[in-house]
Amino acid sequence: MNGRKKILVLIGLVFFLQACVGAPKPPKELLSLNESQMKIRSYQSRTFDIKDQQKVMRGVVAALQDLGFIVERANGPMGLVTAGKFAGSGHSGFVELTVTVRSKGESRVEVRVNAIINTRPIEDPKIYQSFFTAVQRSLFLPG
Amino acid sequence: MPTTTLNSKSPRTGGASQGCKWVFLLLLGGVLLSGCGASRAATPESFFQLSPESAKHKAQQTRTFETSQEKELLSASAAVLQDLGFQIKESASDLGILRAMKERGAREYGQEIAQVFIMILGLFAQDVFIIPVDVHQQIAATLATRPVEGDTSKFTVRIIFHRIVWQGHGEAGDNHIAPGGQWMEMIHDPKIYQQFFAKLSKSVFLEAHQI
Repeated sequence: MNGRKKILVLIGLVFFLQACVGAPKPPKELLSLNESQMKIRSYQSRTFDIKDQQKVMRGVVAALQDLGFIVERANGPMGLVTAGKFAGSGHSGFVELTVTVRSKGESRVEVRVNAIINTRPIEDPKIYQSFFTAVQRSLFLPG
Repeated sequence: MPTTTLNSKSPRTGGASQGCKWVFLLLLGGVLLSGCGASRAATPESFFQLSPESAKHKAQQTRTFETSQEKELLSASAAVLQDLGFQIKESASDLGILRAMKERGAREYGQEIAQVFIMILGLFAQDVFIIPVDVHQQIAATLATRPVEGDTSKFTVRIIFHRIVWQGHGEAGDNHIAPGGQWMEMIHDPKIYQQFFAKLSKSVFLEAHQI
């Protein structure tokens, strides 16, 4: 019986400790830029030495198709592409992407991408790296 | 805690079973405490990496047309999709993008027979098992045209078909499985793509070249 009590206490403790996940509080920096957000932004963007914004847009669309994404919406003048993909092969959920392509100065174009999986932002730099590798390839640029 | 009860009832009392309990509890604690760590959704990198089949699929989904009139190619594509019963949902002519969709029933005899068969099997186990079957599907096409690099007199057309299937309701013992479960697949049947491009090349009076 003693052993059982111990177990119960332990289980209780485990649940108690689980509270260290914390009650949801609205983050203070909800609308302000902090360092980590700046970092995220830096690996979500890449600049290409191409003049033509539309050409980069088409390259992005082709890269998304290569990766098996479904282009849901696109707006040429605004440089916006929204795409989605069902996470297949053993993973559940839906990946969504928003890509913006903007001219930066005279001869460069900046591509920025945000990815979310099941409504949660993806913060893994590697993921963005592989996306840009696909874009680079589709624009016939040397990796 | 089924494992705990099982262990305490087991004839092998003493050190071994007590040790098992502790290991189990430690594991459980570890699993629960792991929630305290920085929670980051596990995103497999493969989502953004080209799969080994991607080149093969690209070849299947892409054709080159010797024309400089992209608008013509796009509107002909839209017309072909319409002929195939699709509704155009999105278009961006400046980027050469079309997205179209059609809704169809997804009932298949095979699945319904399996459903009835498993229901009968369930009768022997005195439980109700109704496996959900596919009832409805959405077939979608996304198409993009793109000028061939370094050659403005040629355009490539790439179309990707996929389908989303919705499942009906089901039952597993006392648990009801709500309808609406869905799954999705890319369509890689070469015939479908051949059919589309055959229709498209007929409609623009141009030959569709494989890439």
